[in-house]
Amino acid sequence: MRRLGGLLARWEALLVLFLIAAFAFGAVASPYFLAGSNISIAIAGAMPGAIVALPMTLVIICGEIDISVGSITGLCAAAMAVCLEHGLPIGAAMPVGLAVGTLAGLFNGAMVAYAGLPSLVVTIGTLALYRGIAQIMLEERGVSDFPEWYQSMGFGTIGNTPVPWCLLIFAVLLIGFAVFLHGTYWGRGLFAIGNNREAARFSGIDVRRSILGVFAASGAMCAVAAVVLTAYLASARADTATGLALPVITAVVLGGVDIFGGSGSMGGVLLAIFVLAFVQNALGLAGVKPEEQQIVTGAVLIATLALFGASRFVRARAGVLWRTRLAR
Amino acid sequence: MSASGTAGLASQGFAAESALARLRRVRELGLVLALLLICLCVTLRAPRFLNGANLEQVALSATLVCIVSLGQALVIIARQIDLSVGAMVAISAFATADWLEHFPKTRIVFALLFGMGVGGALGAGNALLVAVARIPAIVATLATLAIYRGAAIALAGGRQISATVLPGDYQHLAQIHVADAPLLVWIAVLLTLLFGWAARYTRTGRNLYALGSSPESARLAGINEPGHLAFVFILSGLLCGLVGVLWGARFGTVDAVIAPDLHLQSISAVVVGGVSIFGGSGSVYGAALGAVIFAVLQNGVELFGINQFWLEAVIGAAILGTVLLYTVLARRAERAEREQSRSGLGR
Repeated sequence: MRRLGGLLARWEALLVLFLIAAFAFGAVASPYFLAGSNISIAIAGAMPGAIVALPMTLVIICGEIDISVGSITGLCAAAMAVCLEHGLPIGAAMPVGLAVGTLAGLFNGAMVAYAGLPSLVVTIGTLALYRGIAQIMLEERGVSDFPEWYQSMGFGTIGNTPVPWCLLIFAVLLIGFAVFLHGTYWGRGLFAIGNNREAARFSGIDVRRSILGVFAASGAMCAVAAVVLTAYLASARADTATGLALPVITAVVLGGVDIFGGSGSMGGVLLAIFVLAFVQNALGLAGVKPEEQQIVTGAVLIATLALFGASRFVRARAGVLWRTRLAR
Repeated sequence: MSASGTAGLASQGFAAESALARLRRVRELGLVLALLLICLCVTLRAPRFLNGANLEQVALSATLVCIVSLGQALVIIARQIDLSVGAMVAISAFATADWLEHFPKTRIVFALLFGMGVGGALGAGNALLVAVARIPAIVATLATLAIYRGAAIALAGGRQISATVLPGDYQHLAQIHVADAPLLVWIAVLLTLLFGWAARYTRTGRNLYALGSSPESARLAGINEPGHLAFVFILSGLLCGLVGVLWGARFGTVDAVIAPDLHLQSISAVVVGGVSIFGGSGSVYGAALGAVIFAVLQNGVELFGINQFWLEAVIGAAILGTVLLYTVLARRAERAEREQSRSGLGR
């Protein structure tokens, strides 16, 4: 584990370099990149994904995966839109969205933890199911008349600084998740579950409840992301947040979390989120369309995994040669 | 089908079938019964269903998903998954249509080979990531899904190629009838029979089941894991390439955003068709039946006048429901088998 910890520290240093490189790339790509208004848009645009990346880190550390995050976010957006259509004030619609998201996450968690189904197929199924329910509820319609204060949550900034409000929401959640993951019994139990589920179970860790909890957290954070995203876009539709899973998983993996579970850190994920945010912003300024930007996201995901896979391969061979005991 | 589960009983000299083998036979029969039942329900509510022209439409709409599901079935049997199928179909469809637009004198055979070549190359990309770089298939194909789709969009540049600019015999591909059934349906049926036979009676096919059943044991038995994984992903790509070429013929227009949910449709067809998501069991015939079931369901939704938006939710519920059902049944069968073997040893 310490060897893995050493590797992670070096990876986070590398991420800082990537962040600097992303800034350099952005500055070269466009003269507007370094403007305060652009920085705040870049950050605000990445916040919904960032918020979902927090519980996704926990899910992947457990050795599971959640591909349905985009659909849960869309479902929450649709639920809130339906509430608004029926005349409910936005203040009442938001708790409804939160409840819907948490329930959706609990369903995922129950299927994985208690029915024992693999998270891959459960979340593929709920990806379709939740998106379908959102479409049934909202069909082709969209809601876009949100109050001023709501929209400022999406892309409004604090005073004259380039700091968007949603960054504050994210910061609070980040601290909560980071403290949970690295500082509490339950959080560290997730690393044990990801490393060796049976051993964790025999150590007295309640594996089922932990897994249920991380999926529920994923659903709840999708609801928060739905609020921020609809505020940012000033629109709530049934196809909101389609394809959210890819950039979120890329951010988590780029942050140094092992895709097989058992190791990673919130700090790395934080850095990775910002690297991706600025790279995508720079690409957008350079004229690359959003549908084409996913090529870069996919390539980053593959490159990171190939890199980690290669280092694992090299260490395994080195371990055999030097007869050292390995962490994995 | 899978070799697991029967070896232990052979050592006890049981002549009777194991509980798991019985489960598998029930699965295929159950699918045919389910299909007939659904057809019956749809006919009762909307007799137009049995109309010759309607049945032909159902068969045609099942065809393309069925062919992709054949590849997806083998991938899932090998304990992998391929999420990039829709994007691979889109690229090969657009590339082939583009080629035919610029070289209308091309013979159809060469167009098919070209499309399959494009698909195979894309599948080789997946194969490289999974078999060589050892990236888990779920994230590898999630990434290639994005890369290939983005590439398709960049390639197309917003263009749509409609059948009017394509050579006549290309469009006729979708209209040729052999013995009253469309050519496309014959292609799908023949491919299903071919792959169904090959999965069971060739060494490569059985190796895929072994890999899916227990990769460790398969490796120790000397099965070339990277080779077989590469094979199955390239095969999936080839089939997607074929479907890409047929897509333009069937639907008339091709652009970069076709087949957006093909990965969901093919996975649900495969899962409903009885292929275990854990790998190692199930059959290609089941996947084909699953594709037909979904085509019938979709047709039913259209005939009943139900909102089309229900379809995606139905697909999701079907995936979850069948996986849950099969897992519960499989666990019960395993427990029964364990009890059988325990009592057989006289404890």
